[in-house]
Order: sequence, then structure tokens, then C-alpha cells
Amino acid sequence: MLEIENLSKSFGGLKAMNDVSLNVGKGEIVSVIGPNGAGKTTLFNLITGVYQPSAGDVRFEGQSIVGKKPSQIVNLGVARTFQNLRLFTNLTVLENVLIPQHYKLHSTWLSSVFRTPGYRKKEREMREYAIDKLAFFGPRLMSFRLHQPVYVLSYANRRRTEMARAMATGAKLLLLDEPSAGMNPKETREITQIIRRMRDEGGYTILLVEHKMNLVGEISDRVVVLDYGEKIAEGSYKEVVNDPKVIEAYLGKKAEGEEETEIQKAAKMDGRSSE
Amino acid sequence: MASVSQRIDARTQELAFPRHRGRNILLTLGGLLALVIILWFLEGLGSSKLNQALALFAIWGVATVSLNLVNGTLGILSLGHHGFMLIGGYTTGLLILSETARDRILSSGRSSMNETTLGLSLSRGLDLIGLDALTTPETLWIRFVIAVLVGGVVAAIAGLIVGIPSLRLRGDYLAIVTFGFGEIIRLSASTRIFAPLTNGALGLPGIPSEFGKSVWWTFGFLAITVFIISKLKYSSYGRAMEGIREDEIAAEAMGVNLAYHKVLGFAISAFFAGIAGGLWVSWLGGVRLDFFLFTLTFFFLVALSAGGTGSITGVLLGTALVVFVRQYGDPLEETYALATWLIIAGVTLLLAAAATYLYRTFQRQRPRMHPAVYGLGIVGLIAVLVGWLAPNLGILDGTFRGFGMRAIFLSVLLIVIMIFRPEGIVGRREFNWGALFGERPDQPTDEERKQDAWLSNAQLNRPGGAAAAEAVAEVQAEVPGKPLLETGDEPVEAEDK
Repeated sequence: MLEIENLSKSFGGLKAMNDVSLNVGKGEIVSVIGPNGAGKTTLFNLITGVYQPSAGDVRFEGQSIVGKKPSQIVNLGVARTFQNLRLFTNLTVLENVLIPQHYKLHSTWLSSVFRTPGYRKKEREMREYAIDKLAFFGPRLMSFRLHQPVYVLSYANRRRTEMARAMATGAKLLLLDEPSAGMNPKETREITQIIRRMRDEGGYTILLVEHKMNLVGEISDRVVVLDYGEKIAEGSYKEVVNDPKVIEAYLGKKAEGEEETEIQKAAKMDGRSSE
Repeated sequence: MASVSQRIDARTQELAFPRHRGRNILLTLGGLLALVIILWFLEGLGSSKLNQALALFAIWGVATVSLNLVNGTLGILSLGHHGFMLIGGYTTGLLILSETARDRILSSGRSSMNETTLGLSLSRGLDLIGLDALTTPETLWIRFVIAVLVGGVVAAIAGLIVGIPSLRLRGDYLAIVTFGFGEIIRLSASTRIFAPLTNGALGLPGIPSEFGKSVWWTFGFLAITVFIISKLKYSSYGRAMEGIREDEIAAEAMGVNLAYHKVLGFAISAFFAGIAGGLWVSWLGGVRLDFFLFTLTFFFLVALSAGGTGSITGVLLGTALVVFVRQYGDPLEETYALATWLIIAGVTLLLAAAATYLYRTFQRQRPRMHPAVYGLGIVGLIAVLVGWLAPNLGILDGTFRGFGMRAIFLSVLLIVIMIFRPEGIVGRREFNWGALFGERPDQPTDEERKQDAWLSNAQLNRPGGAAAAEAVAEVQAEVPGKPLLETGDEPVEAEDK
């Protein structure tokens, strides 16, 4: 469904993405993991047209989407959520989920001002579609929540609204950027179930970036590991987490035959990853 | 998908779609009828000053509501509204120029216009295609309506020309560009190149003012403007525009074509600005360059910020405020004894002290008697006392003319609003009939409060929150041996009870 071929992106001298190739088949859940700064979000920005790649190609259903505007790419069927929530904060949940359907409204602004029968039918369909997508999250975004502005929602509910908004674009491929960020373990379990149901019941193909390994391990068909803009491993969750390169990327390695350097010691004490 | 749809309960089904449409249409028609009766009554009072103020409110209302489409709904700060009003005003002026008005221009020795210049040739040409038939008192209104609508269309075209290149910019840069365009339009109208159309600094005199000063014509245009712009705001297009205001990047990522919607909103706004310009020159009875200074846009911006940017209700309220101060602020600008001025200032300070006290009480801020209250009150009291006793003491026996006091008053009012309600008097809220009937679609019903254990946390803390305890017990039964919330203590306490 999505084919990425030798994708590269440099910002000045920094190679944020270097020769990455990746395929996502229809109905798959593929996770992209990697330490901070590995290029996961850059990958999403390249796919959705926010950045233009320096080299390489991105094809969606056989059609190249490089050079298209973000709004055109959504129309083709690729929608995303954002790592640090970009909801329409002063608008209600329902309005948030209606806006992504606007491009499917094939009536002029005048017919929408005068509420022609054609426009009204379309508006009704849009609202039905919207609550259908919100229903993925059970009663959490239903009923009175529909009319609450997003700024009164809890963080977890905002994440859910953003996922519903991405689904409401009618996209076939969803790019979820850390869907469980800021959620407690119980909510993470719930979101894991929902992502699986989005695939099984909604028929979406999902590419996700995530840091919580239990979520990744539970739902991914395949896992891709990025580090410094390069793909260092790909395979099932079990294969990937046992890959020495991946362990090295996350935990750092011991220099062979030598004692640990001061920097490595310090990094371990901080609990951070280092080279 | 059936399994998903089954989870949609009845209230969701109800709330997701517009409700009580018939009732709201009836109420709106009733409201319009009430407005007509009120206007009829006010017009019947026969005060020409009041009529002028009402007409001016409606004319400026057309301008502010259209400016609000760009500034409030699209979230673009546009400062060039006076430019589009100028285009509409001059177009209307040229189209409605009568034979006598033309003769007056020709006979004036200083005109930049003569028989062969574009403006008058255009005006004569229009007579040839039949507009001169529309100069009798009975038919002039047709000509006026045509002139105003054409003015709107020309302004909308100008809006497209300005909008297409400049709307790629964002924020302050765009604001500067719109301001620049507004001034360019005004200044180029004063140049020799456009003088054959605009008659330079002399302008076009003799515009019939029976329409611009009539409450019926102006309120008619206001009603149409409010209808179209509010319908647009509540349509899918309006939602897309509000999405752009909230977050451009997200709106684009959700498939909204940024350029198209910005230019569309800008052009519609310019169209109504043009109409407002046409009505404005009719209210003034002539077209001159100094009727379209930047101060006009500034007044509109004050109306927007005072009432609530983004809300049509608020913008109309703000317009009423600005027009009231403009039309009825004359007493502020007259000559009074210095002692009187001192008493006025003192009373204002005392009122401010009282307002501060009430505000602090209402907002539950302590202490209520803040130093500001003491300070304002004491200074005010001293001012009133000194002003009162001054004639006896033989001090302060000059007079002072409050020149420009109206603008100062408006500025102070704006400062007060910005301090106490930065979002404007009504904020982003809109008037809606449902609220009058106590409809709160954004609040849970009692039933829902009971069901949702998270929402009932507040109830749990209350002694005897039996319903909530039940709800907790139900959830507990589903997940045995696990506290309801990983972090909260309240549910556990409630269970102990």
C-alpha cells in the first residue's frame, strides 16, 4: 500500500533521513521505533508532504506522492495525528471531526449558505460519519462531549479526538505519532485495543511511532527501527528487540577490550542512551 | 461496522444533528418582526439624530460583521477594510451620479473631471443603457440597489487581487500588507491617474442620502449581511475557516485547501465592505477621500475587540457601543468650567472604585477592599470635594473645552474591557435560541453523571453521594481487586463508607 524507496532528507549538513526503504502492506500494523532524534517524526513529515525529500520516492497505492501538498495527500487517503496534539482547540469535538470531511463536500459556498437540499444531505452524512468514527472510543467522546470545546477535554480524550479526526478524513492509511503519549497504563491498554479494532473493524492500515514497548510488542505485525535517520533493523517484535544493533542503539555498547569511558559511565548513570 | 454503530446511544444521535430547526426559524422570524416594530416605533419618535445613529449603526454593522469574517472566523488580522469601502463608495457614487450632480462638477472650475474624462463618460454611458430612467423619486431606489451591489462586486474583485498574492503570508506580515493595500487604494484614488474617476480631492458631491439615512434600507442590508455571513459561519466552509484560524498546519493536514478558503473569505468580506462603503457615502451625502481614512478601520477594530472577535453577536454589540459614543458623545466635547471637569473626573474615579469592589466580590477575590479600591475612592472623593468647593474658595475659575474627549472616552472604555474581559464582552459565544430554553448540549444529564465514574468524582467527595458509590461499586465489580483510579484516593474512601 505504501512504498518508501531510498528516502533521504538533509537539513543543511544534517542528514535527518538517509536512504530509508520501507513497505507497508494493506491491513498491516507497522511500528516505527528508535531513540529520540532517530527521525521517526521526520519520516511522517516526509510522507505527509510537510517536508519535501532530498532524494527517494514515496508511493501510495502505486502513485508517487512526492511533491504534493499536504491537503492533496490527505485526499488520496493518508492521514496523520501529531506528536504534540494539533487539534482545533476552541472548536467542539464534533466540529473537529467534521472539518476533515470538508474536502469531500462537493457543493459551492453559496449552496452551503442557502442550505440547498444537496448540501443538507451531505452535512447529515458528514455528521453520521463523524459519530461513527467517534464511536470507536466508546462513550468517551459521545453524547454531551460532542459539544464540548476541545480545551476542556482531558489529555487522553484529546488524543482520542485526534485519532477520530484522522479517521474521519476517510483515509485508508493512518500515521499515528505516539498515540499513547501522556496516557496512564489503563488508558494505554485501552488505546492498544482500539488501534487493533481500527484495523480489524475499520479496515485501516496503520503506521505508528511509539515509545511504549509493551504497546508496540502487542499489536505490531512488523517493527522498523530507525537510528540517526537510518533503518537499522526490521522484522517481528521479537526479532527486533534481540537484534544487537537495536540494543546498541538504545543502550550503547561497551568498547571491546577496553574499560568503559567516562562518558559511557555517566550516560548509564543518567539512564540515557549513548553511543 | 455494525458493531461500532450499535454503540451510538440515543442522546448522541440526537445531539449530533441540528435540532429544533422549525422552532428556531419561527423564533428568528418573530425576532425580526419585533425588530421591525421597534424600528418603526423609534422612527416614529421623529428624532433625526436618533434615525441617523440607527442608520449609522446598521451601515457600520455591515462593515464590522464582514471584517469579522476575516479577523474573527479566518483569524487573519486585516487592516485594509477602509480601502475596500472606498472602492465600493466611489463605484456607488459614480453609478448614482445624477444629471444635476454632473452639471455641478462641470461648472466647478477646479474639477479634475470634464465631459471627456472617464468618470463622467462612464456615468453618461450608463444613462444611455437605461439608468437615467431610474432617476425619478419612485425608481431611484432601483438605481441605488444596483449601484451598491456593483460597488460590492468591484470591491470583491479588488479583494481577490489583493488577497491572492498576499494571503500566503502569516500573522503580522499579512496585517502590514493588508494595511499597506488599504492605504495604497486610498492614496492612488487621490492621484492624477485616478482623478478622472474620483474627481481628486473634491470628490463626488450630491449623492442621494435618502437611502443611507433610512433605517429601513440600512437595516435591510444589515439583515442580509448577517444572514449570509452567519449561515456561512455555521456551514462546512465556516468550520474549515475556523480550522484555519485554530491551526493552519493541522487544517492543511486534514485536507483543507488553505489558499482557497482564505481568498474566498477575504473576497466575501470585501464584497460586504464595498456594500458598506456604498451605504456610507449615501449616509454622508457625497464621496470624498477623507471619508475613508484608516480611522474608519480603527473604529471597526475597536468594535470587534470590545464586543468579542469571532462572534457576530458581540461584534454588533461593539458596533452599537462605538456608534453610540460617536453620535451621542457631543456633551463630552463641549466647554465646561474647570470645577465641573474635576467633579466629572472624581465621579468617574468613584465609579471605577465601586466597579473594582463589585468585580472583586463577584470573582471571589480577597480582600474585597483592595488598595486599588481605597486609592481610587479617596482620590475620587478629594476631586469631587475640591470641584464642589472650588467656586467658594475662588480657585479653578477657568473653562476647558473637551476637544477629542470622545476618542479618549472610547480608548478608556476599551482599556477597561481589555483588562476585565480580554476576549470582549461576549467573547466567542454566539446568541442562540436553545440557550434561552435552558438547552445545554455540552453538559451531561444526571443519568450520565451517575454512569460515568470519572465525572462523579465530585459527588464521591460529597457525604451521602449514594448514586456515585453505586457507580463505583459497579465498576469495581468489573475489575475485582483493582482500585478504580490508579492515582485517586477518593474512590477508595467512598468504598470504605
